[in-house]
Amino acid sequence: MGGYGDVKLLNDDGTRLDGRAIDEMRPVEIRAGVLPAADGSAYVKHGLNEAIVAVYGPMEAHPRRIQLQDQAVLDVRYNMAPFSTSDRIRPGFNRRSREISKVTAEALASVVLVERYPRSKIRVEIEILSAEAGTRCVGITAAAVALADAGIPMRDLIVGVAAGKVEDTVVLDLDKAEDNYGQADLPMGIMPATGEIAFMQMDGDLSMDELNTAIEYCFKGAADIYELQKAALKDRYDGGVSQ
Amino acid sequence: MSTQTVPQLLRQQLAILAESDQRIDGRGRWEMRDIDLEVGCLYNAEGSAKVTWGDTVIYAGVKFEIRTPYDDRPAQGSLMCGSELRPVAHRKYDPGPPSPESIELGRVVDRGIRESGCIDMANLCIVPGEKVWMVVLDIHVLSDGGNLFDAAGLAAIAALRNATVPAARFDVGEDYQLPVSLTPIMTTFTRVGGRLVYDANEEEELGGDERVSVTLGDTGAMHSMQKGLKGTFTPPELAEILDVAAEHCKNLRELVDSKVN
Repeated sequence: MGGYGDVKLLNDDGTRLDGRAIDEMRPVEIRAGVLPAADGSAYVKHGLNEAIVAVYGPMEAHPRRIQLQDQAVLDVRYNMAPFSTSDRIRPGFNRRSREISKVTAEALASVVLVERYPRSKIRVEIEILSAEAGTRCVGITAAAVALADAGIPMRDLIVGVAAGKVEDTVVLDLDKAEDNYGQADLPMGIMPATGEIAFMQMDGDLSMDELNTAIEYCFKGAADIYELQKAALKDRYDGGVSQ
Repeated sequence: MSTQTVPQLLRQQLAILAESDQRIDGRGRWEMRDIDLEVGCLYNAEGSAKVTWGDTVIYAGVKFEIRTPYDDRPAQGSLMCGSELRPVAHRKYDPGPPSPESIELGRVVDRGIRESGCIDMANLCIVPGEKVWMVVLDIHVLSDGGNLFDAAGLAAIAALRNATVPAARFDVGEDYQLPVSLTPIMTTFTRVGGRLVYDANEEEELGGDERVSVTLGDTGAMHSMQKGLKGTFTPPELAEILDVAAEHCKNLRELVDSKVN
């Protein structure tokens, strides 16, 4: 979180540079069933972020050494398209995408009923097409919808949402400037129906009180996105979306 | 791949259909699937396009980098075109380094664009001998429902015609439209049930034989051809598909024209 202090991120009236209130999210749009080749898929646009997720499986787990005798393995890949950022990204895995893939897989394994499918594999392919701060959260939101779209039983959906701190003020859903020049970033994966947290990372500087406010904002934001996730799935099976 | 029984049954079915000149999805022999083209759809790309072609979904994105020019062309920009068949696109694709299939796809699309001369490379020079623009075109396949070549070729040229050179962001002048003067279009034919058909879908590719791709320019000239997969064809067959290709290229070029500026 370099360079904070010298960049102004809040307006004099307390709103943010893009006009949002401190506890207001960027606009979110969700669609289910967008990729014909996949068993389940979802598209999420969150601010200027765009993610598409494909789910394949459950299928036989290859190679065999990755099999688990009592549950399915979630094989999750988070990947940024080369043209998703301001400077082109060289294709292929890097340390950042490997870490995000790992913790995302663990979050999704906490909500999918993996014990239903011993020795099998469920592939979750997260493709970021456009990135503007918060892509791991958008990927999680989309992955949950894609898993549900694939008909895979889950305890709840997961919503990816972040809070952070700019100019000593806790705000919901950091945009790019706030992410680059703010003081803290707290991405979370929230299960809105059960109130559990399945994913959490944090970097920066937060007091206990600020953390509590940030968590409160995340749950509030998650409740709104949860409604959009459910609406996208209902719309899909009302015959509203492609296929 | 581990599914040999299904293609054998599928091949028989496709052969039976071919006897009465039918296709597995009810199309005519030279008929194209429904397609949709969106341009300028990606925020961070300097040019972009999304093609939905039957069950195939492909994005193309254009980015720019500043490079030193090649020694033999000190005042010319360059083009790099790549594609990856990532595991998102189908259950048959595994993670890992680019497969021969994805390299072939990227290179065939590259040749159609490069050899048509549609990009004015002299217009991509910043400082002769020192700095030129490299146009980087990435093909991103999200759903493989068959005929990736034509969908990738269409996405590629639409993204290029939509692209803006981001000179201001790199502090080398004002932004300007990437000069693309021509619209090369690729058409691909696949042997299904013993005869060549246009725009094979996923099942027809699985139960079919060789594929022949042809890229035609605005004047009808050929800019790239590629025969792939096991199988052979005859000169009369090639002549026949070139006639069909000309008609489809014209229609697809009109579609691109209608979507970009």
